[in-house]
Amino acid sequence: MEKPELIKDGKRLDGRGPKDIRPLRIEAGILKEAEGSALVEWGGNKVLAGVYGPRECIPRHLSDPYKARLKVRYTMAPFCSPGEHSRSGPNRRSIEISKVIREAFEPVVMTHLFPRSQIEVYIEVLQAEGGTRVAALTAAAVALADAGIPMKDMVSAIAVGKLDGQVVTDLGKDEDNYGESDVPMAITHRNKEIVLLQMDGLLTKEELAQNLDDAIEGCGKVYEIQAAALRKTYENGERGKLKL
Amino acid sequence: MGEETKTKILREVRKDFLQELLNKGKRFDERGANDWRPVEVQKGAISSAEGSALAEIGGTKVVAAVKFGIMSPFPDRPNDGVFMTGAEFVPFASPGFETGPPGENAIEFARVIDRGIRSSEIIDVSKFFIEEGKVMALFLDLWVLDYCGNLMDTGSLAACAALLDAKVPKIEDGEIVRGEYTGGLDMKYKPLTTSFIKVGNHFLMDPSRDEEYAKDMTLTVGSVEGKVASIQKSGNAGLGRDKVLELVDIAFEKSDELSKYL
Amino acid sequence: MNIEKIIVPGELIWEQEMRVANTVVADGKTYATVVGMVRDDRFIPLELVYKAKAGDNVVGVVTDVRHAGYSVDLGLAQDGFISSKFTRVSFKQGDLIFGRIKFADEVGNVDITDAKRLPTGKLVDVPASKVPRIIGKRSSMLNVLRDGTGCSIFVGNNGYIWVGEKGNVQLSLKTIDFIVRKAHTQGLTDAVAKYLNENGGNVTVPPRDAPEGAMPPKEETAGENPLMHPAAETEKVQPEQPEVVEETKKTEEKLDIEEM
Repeated sequence: MEKPELIKDGKRLDGRGPKDIRPLRIEAGILKEAEGSALVEWGGNKVLAGVYGPRECIPRHLSDPYKARLKVRYTMAPFCSPGEHSRSGPNRRSIEISKVIREAFEPVVMTHLFPRSQIEVYIEVLQAEGGTRVAALTAAAVALADAGIPMKDMVSAIAVGKLDGQVVTDLGKDEDNYGESDVPMAITHRNKEIVLLQMDGLLTKEELAQNLDDAIEGCGKVYEIQAAALRKTYENGERGKLKL
Repeated sequence: MGEETKTKILREVRKDFLQELLNKGKRFDERGANDWRPVEVQKGAISSAEGSALAEIGGTKVVAAVKFGIMSPFPDRPNDGVFMTGAEFVPFASPGFETGPPGENAIEFARVIDRGIRSSEIIDVSKFFIEEGKVMALFLDLWVLDYCGNLMDTGSLAACAALLDAKVPKIEDGEIVRGEYTGGLDMKYKPLTTSFIKVGNHFLMDPSRDEEYAKDMTLTVGSVEGKVASIQKSGNAGLGRDKVLELVDIAFEKSDELSKYL
Repeated sequence: MNIEKIIVPGELIWEQEMRVANTVVADGKTYATVVGMVRDDRFIPLELVYKAKAGDNVVGVVTDVRHAGYSVDLGLAQDGFISSKFTRVSFKQGDLIFGRIKFADEVGNVDITDAKRLPTGKLVDVPASKVPRIIGKRSSMLNVLRDGTGCSIFVGNNGYIWVGEKGNVQLSLKTIDFIVRKAHTQGLTDAVAKYLNENGGNVTVPPRDAPEGAMPPKEETAGENPLMHPAAETEKVQPEQPEVVEETKKTEEKLDIEEM
């Protein structure tokens, strides 16, 4: 496929400006069984996260006498892409993403309060459209809070990057593939500490600096939506209602 | 301790209590022996799939997604398209679900629902022939998101709704043109199932998770247009011949009720 | 309820350092670590993972029988333990028990004492953070629940609840669910009494009276919302313990709980 013109007259493929975030909808407590859960609908992404724990650490020999073991599993359903049906099960990409998401939560989840146990975060991407890992992380953070797992800070995520020479926020459909750079990031709310940072493509140092600033700004907006979702769960106390 | 052992213990804890209630003619919730819990179906829940639905029965939630692809046919059926059903018990759906490849329960779940659809012959796979060595494949995926009892009927409902929602993509020069469609699947029937559990001497339809802890046996009956399309008995106990026929009659009626949500 | 008052993890609670549970201090300010609310200078968690501590009442299921004692599922990362040395009752796998935590350490070991076998009943699992509301100030909510349904109910701080088979069991289950959903609201005890009466229950105990008699007026208003009262905090549930144990003894006389 020929590379589309990604920015024309200051507008992106879907009409957004460089700093505009795609429509983002977050709901917490949408599953009955999971101790904590969240749904993130971000542009064309639909991601569900569910949390269990602290509970028994299995296998026993991996349990830590001083803190809880954090387990994160990120997977993409075989029907999540508008293209081909893919094989189910973990692949190299999903294993790497599981690892970086887990590491993003290690500094904030207060694992030392629950020694010898494990806290499990399961993230399932049901529909994918650019920026699935940041949608997944954003969902996981809400699910952990929904489960009552104490965290020193709240984590929000967003992907920034560069399209046709222009620095942009929230890379969407086709933008992460055809753009010049893709920089997914996760940032804590009160400390503005970067807990996930990856990039591909080519950027000057100045462009990267701009990206970092844009991500901090963007994550601030994501945080407000995460917080609103958690507050809304108490509006009528109804849990386990899912609408995709 | 393992979830399986815990389940065995909770099973005993709930079983004698549930039997006491059943002897008085009550269930844990306020239903009769043959009442459905609240049902909801959301068609088109997943836009990346060519057909999809989220079905919920009493809290149990299953997403079914239909995707089309191109494959070489099975050697013994060179002119027929391929229809494959996969399933996943997503680990967050229940504290007892583990990560890893589908276990025996997930496989049974997929295969029983698959059989109900296949034996009704509602998908004409001969229509999927493209050219020699190339046929269209229909992938049906059943993703369990929340397990509150009676996965089988919820899964069938989701599968049926997704198939009804599905649009068949256009084929050009032996390739799929994504985003362009030739029409629906033209399903003749709506294959649905009704499941019963046996607790002591009582038979209960649409068991909740708590009730399933107490079960001795499950019978799932798939039906279309007053005919039996599939049967699966699982669990350790047995049941009599007359009972099977009695449950089949109830299943015809109950699946009919369920079809109104499609 | 005013949803703006709900605080999420990482959010500022106070502009000064307050060393209280479920918060973290940074740059001289105090932030929330869990979802919660501020009422009268207290931070009350709305979602919370249960931390076992001595003195808590628990309901559990015996999962393993060994020479040294019994393992008990309490819904925690590790099973609790009843030592054979300190019990004269012998339990078997699958028994439902009601007991008290004698000792709980930082690595998750929980020792249970005064364990009694519960007769056939239904085990309900609720979030541990909602348990104080189900018990209520001086067991006021629990009394309303028992009275309105005619059921024996034992509530464990660990979030397991046992409902006995006599009485209106389904109403008990529905009402417990109602309380859990409305846990953050005020005037809940009255709302529950009304709910019970509307659903076939029969509440005769006036909801606001504590078994002990009159309370000072200030506490009376606080009594309407157990979330505001110190006794409702998970970490200060001590004052209610004797109450619950007494109730236990009364109901025990009616039931045939095997002992010795």
